[in-house]
Amino acid sequence: MSTTGRMPERSAARRRVRGLALAAAVAFFTAAPGFAVEEDSNPQAAERNPDYAAGKQAFDRKDWGEAVRRFSRATVLDPDNPDIHNYLGFSYRKMGQLELAFKYYNRALALNPRHRGAHEYIGEAYLMGGNLAGAEKHLEALRKICLLRCEELVELEKAIAEYRARPLTGTR
Amino acid sequence: MNSHKPLLAASLLLLLSSGVVQAHENEGIGQLGRVKFASSCDPKVQPLLESGVAMLHSFWFSAGQKTFRDVLAQDPSCTIANWGLAAILMSNPLAGQGASPKNAALAQAAIEQGRRVSPGTQRERDYIEAVAAYYEDWSNRPERARQQARAKAFEELAARYPNDDEAQIFSALYIAGTQSQADQTFAAYLRSAAILEKLFAKYPDHPGVAHYLIHSYDAPPIAQQGLPAARRYASIAPAAPHALHMPSHIFTRVGAWEDSAATNARAAAVAKKSGEPDQAYHASDYMVYAYLQLGRDKDARQAMEEAMKVTNGPQQSIPYAIAAMPARYAMERGAWREAMQLQAQSTRFPFTDAITHFARALGAARSGDIAAAEKDAEELARLHKALQDAKNNYWATEVEIQQLAVAGWIALAQRRNDDALKFMRASADLEDRNEKHIVTPGRIVPARELLGEMLLELKQPALALKEFEASQVREPNRFRGYYGAALAAEAAGDREKASAHYAKLVDLTKTAGSARPELARAKAYIAQR
Repeated sequence: MSTTGRMPERSAARRRVRGLALAAAVAFFTAAPGFAVEEDSNPQAAERNPDYAAGKQAFDRKDWGEAVRRFSRATVLDPDNPDIHNYLGFSYRKMGQLELAFKYYNRALALNPRHRGAHEYIGEAYLMGGNLAGAEKHLEALRKICLLRCEELVELEKAIAEYRARPLTGTR
Repeated sequence: MNSHKPLLAASLLLLLSSGVVQAHENEGIGQLGRVKFASSCDPKVQPLLESGVAMLHSFWFSAGQKTFRDVLAQDPSCTIANWGLAAILMSNPLAGQGASPKNAALAQAAIEQGRRVSPGTQRERDYIEAVAAYYEDWSNRPERARQQARAKAFEELAARYPNDDEAQIFSALYIAGTQSQADQTFAAYLRSAAILEKLFAKYPDHPGVAHYLIHSYDAPPIAQQGLPAARRYASIAPAAPHALHMPSHIFTRVGAWEDSAATNARAAAVAKKSGEPDQAYHASDYMVYAYLQLGRDKDARQAMEEAMKVTNGPQQSIPYAIAAMPARYAMERGAWREAMQLQAQSTRFPFTDAITHFARALGAARSGDIAAAEKDAEELARLHKALQDAKNNYWATEVEIQQLAVAGWIALAQRRNDDALKFMRASADLEDRNEKHIVTPGRIVPARELLGEMLLELKQPALALKEFEASQVREPNRFRGYYGAALAAEAAGDREKASAHYAKLVDLTKTAGSARPELARAKAYIAQR
């Protein structure tokens, strides 16, 4: 049902500029089609979860521990938001805790099987763990999702190509 | 207990014995429907209290909040009004978003006030405690848990007071508020509807019963059952803006275009008069959509032009309607060159900007101008990326559906037929998995209908017919749906089906007075048979 999900790793500046310009404007129209044009009260969903906003701030400054803390709290109010689980997966991956990273990426994908970012990052996590087949499974999923190509597909293809090009050592 | 107790007891008896207390023409508000809500309040505030309850039933939140506060100002011991305030501050219980933190704090204060000034009856205490169940530990529970707690509390209230029909009605509403989008059996909706249907017979003029029935059937497979309530509701509470427009959600789902055009014309007029431009634009978009299905192109154009005269405002539904109406007007008539010349706008909302680029790209591709189509396709890609970056997943998917359709028609113009079908089919499949948003009566054009049209162009009429008929299930009674199906059936040699679809088109457009060539063809085919 939804797409999305690249992290700031490679596109931080670009995303931040766009994010600032757009976030306020579009936050109202969040994932669920619960838009109530007929009602005269409709507060923005993003404003309702301060932990989500704080988690994103911590994430942007690469404070992975704080990001994990705030996003974990954010899941209390918003347990089915795949983006939060994807952020958690990414943060745990950056902290080197792959097992937890997989747990959250898989939760993001269970909530949204078309989550492009989660497919890319779990694929890259598999490569970190030396599991090429696992990464290729998610590359295949991205090929089906991104009929018009997408950054996530390109990046995972690139990561897999680089992985394959590395000399065969125990560290691969 | 309040000091008016003996008087109140007498008045309550009077209220109960008099049968229905009307909330009609109260305080110059206008007609809101018939609501009977017994209370221990001062009899002088009872009509105002019932007006507040009637407003709550019609989701007229701002007016309802003011009314309940007026009740409390006039009779501070009328503590049941605090229940009304707390209920109103939950906002639309069916929209899934719930109370804002600010409103939750206000509601909790109202509940505390209600508890402090001891309610006149145990029933009133129980109403306050039932609504309090939603706000309990509010900041530490997800909305879904709050909804469940609210439904449970009101079900218990309804069970405790089986003769209190207001309790049954609110219980039904909050049961419907637990409906999960993932549950395609619509169990909660149907459970709510079962309660309300019985009460609809008893209270044909009750705003809540008719209103909540509409919401309880607001899903494609069950929408038809909501038609009687939808046809009643606007006349029950015409003073409430929501009551005029809301029935058209059902009318649109079942293709009752005359009903939709009529109720939205009233809704747009009231909204303009009362200075609510967002409501006016929103109703106008629904009205334009309805007129176009009826082939009433002049009316559609007039409605669109009238809407555009309304002073713009910051509300989010306005740019959507401003972009959607001209795009619909061009594309529903198959005016592809007109579509490609639409003026793109840049607003705060990428998905509304996408509507125009989608129409321009599709118009250009179907007019053979591949370069122009590709330019707008690039704009769609840019807007899609912007939505992704903003984590606006729902609308990113909607724009992706448009991107895939445009890619399909560009591929077709380039004679890459396999790619064309691959993209167009992916667009239709993705659209099927994404429920339409309530900001819109429907997508600018249904993707599966576009797939049918593409298959027709590729001389695959039997497959095209299948797609048109599949599209009709989800988007019934559409002009282009019938016409496409008829053309496909005719080309496939299925004369019976061709006649049937052409006949439906002619019947649909009997008030059209339109010169659309499709109608001439339909009438000629039927005459020939």
